[in-house]
Order: sequence, then structure tokens, then C-alpha cells
Amino acid sequence: MGLDVVSRTPADVSQDGAVALEARADHAPARARGGAWEGASAEKHFLRYGMMPHMLCPGCGHGIVLDSMLRALARSYETLDDVAFVAGIGCSSRVVGYVDACTLHTTHGRPLTFATGLKLARPDLEVVVVTGDGDGLSIGGNHLIHAARRNIDLTCVLFNNEIYGMTGGQLAPTTIPGAYTSTSPMGNHERPFDAARLVEAAGGTFVARAQSFRTRDFEEIFLRALDHKGFSFVEVMTDCTEYFGRTNRLGNGADLLFSQARADVAIEADLAGRPTLQEVPARPVRPVMEMGVLHESRRQTLEEAMGLVEDGS
Amino acid sequence: MSRVNGSNGKVPARTPPARLEAGNLVVVGVGGQGVILASNLVSQVLLDAGYDVKKSEVHGMSQRGGTVVSHVRFGPEVHSVMVEPGSADWIVAFEWEEGLRSLSYLKPNGVALVSTERRIPPAAMLDHRDQSLKYPALGEVPFGVLALDTFAVAGDAAAAVPAVAQTVLLGALSVLLPFPVEAWQASINAWVPRKALTGNLRAFERGRALAPEVRAAEVAARTAARTVESGPEVVPSASASPVAHNGAKRSRDGVAEHLLPVVRIERSWCKGCDICVAMCPEKCLVLDELDVAVFARPERCTGCQLCALLCPDLAMDVLWVPAGDLTGWLFANEEDRVRAAADPR
Repeated sequence: MGLDVVSRTPADVSQDGAVALEARADHAPARARGGAWEGASAEKHFLRYGMMPHMLCPGCGHGIVLDSMLRALARSYETLDDVAFVAGIGCSSRVVGYVDACTLHTTHGRPLTFATGLKLARPDLEVVVVTGDGDGLSIGGNHLIHAARRNIDLTCVLFNNEIYGMTGGQLAPTTIPGAYTSTSPMGNHERPFDAARLVEAAGGTFVARAQSFRTRDFEEIFLRALDHKGFSFVEVMTDCTEYFGRTNRLGNGADLLFSQARADVAIEADLAGRPTLQEVPARPVRPVMEMGVLHESRRQTLEEAMGLVEDGS
Repeated sequence: MSRVNGSNGKVPARTPPARLEAGNLVVVGVGGQGVILASNLVSQVLLDAGYDVKKSEVHGMSQRGGTVVSHVRFGPEVHSVMVEPGSADWIVAFEWEEGLRSLSYLKPNGVALVSTERRIPPAAMLDHRDQSLKYPALGEVPFGVLALDTFAVAGDAAAAVPAVAQTVLLGALSVLLPFPVEAWQASINAWVPRKALTGNLRAFERGRALAPEVRAAEVAARTAARTVESGPEVVPSASASPVAHNGAKRSRDGVAEHLLPVVRIERSWCKGCDICVAMCPEKCLVLDELDVAVFARPERCTGCQLCALLCPDLAMDVLWVPAGDLTGWLFANEEDRVRAAADPR
């Protein structure tokens, strides 16, 4: 059916409104539409092929995380018909536009509120919220802590690139001390948020931190977050090459990925002894951060408390 | 699970082995598989039985997944530590290619116990495209080679520590050597780390349970050696049992034999961020004059997938394709394929 509809000319479609509706409702994967190339790996079939190539800058870590998310989903889902992606505003939130699932592009900072409504209306859906550090921690900071407090069964992936990439490289609540941005030309003097610990303190029941560089680890963490009953929060460190990398003279996408590898301790404790960017005093210091699943517990979710789903706590 | 070339399936009656006068054993594998530990373990059994034992090993490249060879010689008095080519009574190989490579050490009537596990070292990948590295398939190996899918035999015994699977081969070897099972167990107890002890003992038992197959291999080797001396009427049996064949073809990624890795690039998606070029451990990729990634040195690719995993533009895929002309596989886009065919550079 999908191929027939696509092969019609726009004139045919406009004459027949029913066909246009049918075409819009057609959620056949890219494979059926002849989208992804021969031999393409499974996750490529979850892309909205007509939207590619994406709008992200060269070397942007968000693309790597998008690929990892799709790869993880391809391991557990045949189609994404029962998966809803909800996103706010920002570079990070743009990535859901490339996922061939049910997607919702919402107002700035409010993806979690839209997702809360969606989840309560349709508890059977797997709802994934994609948000960024500006979207989720700054304008949407209150929504984040309250979603964590309610422990609603959502999976929130926060792309932390330590800067406002879309609007011109302004200071974000996660910008590391000393970093230069367009609104901190003398270097940042503010203490950044530790988003993962914030959500844990607010009552999130699954809290993890991952890196775009360690794609396989992120896949595992993301799958565990999807499986978790309750508010799952994954903070993933990515790189803004154009604003963060260039303003702070940290090099190109590959250099930033290598700097992630050096700033990471907890995936393997032995890495603690390796040099970090502290060796270059004129440049901002990439903090050494704990990675992996930081907190996991089980308590009654909002849907269970409201009797929408069976209480398994 | 296992197969013996040239055996007719009949297993001869058990004859208790007499005390061996002397013997030569070669243990081969790649770094990390436990070759040294296994040869230590066998040497312990031999020492306890009162032999003079000498052992020598080559393990210089083992850290890089390179070859590890251990020679064990025993007898009333051993002078040289090295086993000469064509004089090994037994070969225990933890890896398929290493096993086949070391077959020149085997006596005409010797027995080789070879694991079908395959670990292709990066160095071997460098010139694999012209098929200069051609190993015999399972149907072509000489008599007396017993191919064992050690992971299948070990089963759950190797679930916690994968290296334990190779202990199956020691269990099989113990059938050919006239020492009581208690001597082997004591040696395993003495040499194997505590955490892997139970798994090792169970894997050893499972290998020892393969006694019929192992003896059939021994008989086949002796029969073949006699026939070769008397006349050229030996036709190696090419009918491999499918289970064993699957084992031989299985590599770590389930990749079949003679397939080569190719990085397929959707050029219209690539933004030239340089990540794949910087990350590729073998430096297979370059940026062309348009700042678009090109799979320039296919002969060096090991199929590690780093480029595809870290490509922010989702423009790459690593495919395993049949050996031969690769140009049809390099580009995801028909337009790029046509352009490349017009300008083969």
C-alpha cells in the first residue's frame, strides 16, 4: 500500500483527500518505502529518510547519540509504532524529527509536561523525552524536577553539550567553569548543574550518565532506562563543535570526543590516572565525572498511584 | 559438534595405553586464550608422573592478540626444548587458523585437537583481499585433525569466563595420555585461578566425555599414515557434518568465511567532520577534495565499526561482502556509484 500511495502525483493526492490522509497515516518503515540503502544496518530503517541529511553541524555529538538511540531501539523493536518521542526546543530536540516514530515537537522547556499528558492518556505507549541542557535544566528546570518527583514512567534523555548551540553559543546552566561563551567572554564564573544528581535528589528512580563517545555503553544504559518502571533520566554528554569547541579552541569533533575519553572516570576506574585537559591551563577544564548508572530504585509510579496501570511496586 | 576426517564412524575397543616412553606436545593459540596456563598444567601432570619435562614458549606478541606457541617435551631425559617439525605427537590448538598453521609440526600419525574458534589478528587482515592467506576448509584438513566447537561442548561451563571453553581440549587430550583423571584434576586445582576452577573442571569433564571421537581421530590418523606409506588411495572425506562446519565458520561477529569488510558511505549525508578519519585505527578513510569521507584503503579495514558507530551524520555502515570487486559496495547512493565508475581514481 505504501508504495502505491507514494507513487501518485501531488495532483492526485489533492483531488482525493482520503488518499492524502492515508499517505499521512502510513507509518511503514523506511525499508518498505525503499528508503534505506542496501545492506544498511537496522537502525537506519527507523529514520525519516526524506528528512536526511540532518541539520546538525559537522561533528556534532547529537548525531552520534541519535544513532546510538536508534541502534538500541532496533535491538528491541520491530517498528516504532508504540514508541513516542517528545522534544522541546533546541538542537537536541531537533533530532526527534529524524526518527520514524510517533513524535511531538513541543514548546520550549515543556516536553516533560506534554509527555506527562501523553503518558496518562496512553499508558501503553513507550514515551521517550529528548531534551537539552537549556531546554530541560534552564527554562524547563521546574518541569524536570517535578516529573522526577511524580515518578511518572517516562524515559528522559538530556543531551548535555554545555552550551546553547542553536541560539548562538550562550552560557548554559551546565557550562563548565572557565569556559568562554558568547555571553561569558571573560570565562564562566558560575557553578554548573550536576543534572543527574539533581534528578536523583528530586526523586527520579533511574539516573544515569553516559557519553556520546562511548556509544555501546550509552546503548546499554538507554535500554535499561526504557525497561525501568518510573522516571528514568539519562544525561548524555555530547559536544558542540561549532560554539563550545571553537570558542574554547578545543579542536574539531574528533578532538572533543577524545577529550571525553580523558574526562571519564567511572566506567573504568583505571582511567582515573590518565591526564585530563587540566594539562592545558589556559583552556577550560573538562571536569572528571561519574559515568554509568548512578541510582536505581523502585517506587510507585504516578500511573500506578492513579490506577491507570496495574500496581507492580 | 565434532568430526573426524577419514573415520568411518566405528570406534575401536578401548585398549589401555601403556606407559609412554616419550612424547612431544605443541599447544598453540593467540594471546589471552590461556595457552601458557594450559601447557603449565600439562607439564605439571607429566612432572607428577615422573618424567623429565622441558617446556618452551613464544609469546612476544601475545599482548596484541598475536600467536602464542608452547612446546612441551617429555621422556626419561629431555635435552632440547623445541619440538621439531613433523615430530609432534599431539597438537592442541585453541584457535582454528593457528591450529592449521601449526600442522607442519604433526607426525604423520599424530593427532591434532583444534578448536574452531576464530580470532583473526589485524596483521592477517592486511593482505587478506588477494586471498594470499588461504587456509584449508574443514573438509580439506588432513587425517587425525579433530575439529571441536569448544564453546558448544563447554556450554554453560564457559558462561562466566569464556576462556574456560578451551579446557575442553585438555579434557580431550587427557584421553590420549595414560594418566589418571585425578592427576589432571590435581593439576587444574594447582594452576587455575580460584574463580574459574569449577568451570574449568566441568569443561575438562565434558572434553573427556568426547573420548569416542578422540580415539576415532587417533585410529584414523594411524590408518591414514599406514595407507600413505603403502599407496595413494586415500580420498579425504569431504562430507562435513553441518554442526562442525558452522562452528568453523563462526567468528566473533558471526561473520562467515571469505567475507570482507566494506564501509558504505552515503556521500550526500557526510558533512566532512573528520571524526571517522581521526578515529579509524587502520587509517582506511580520508576526506576527498569536497571534504567528504572516502573509503580509500579497503585492504586495511578490519571491520571494527568505529567509523559507523561514531559518525554523527549516520552516513556510514560497515558491511561484510563477498571477496572480489568491491566498487559496487562502496557507495550507498546510485549517483555516486555512477560517478565513481566514470572516474575510477
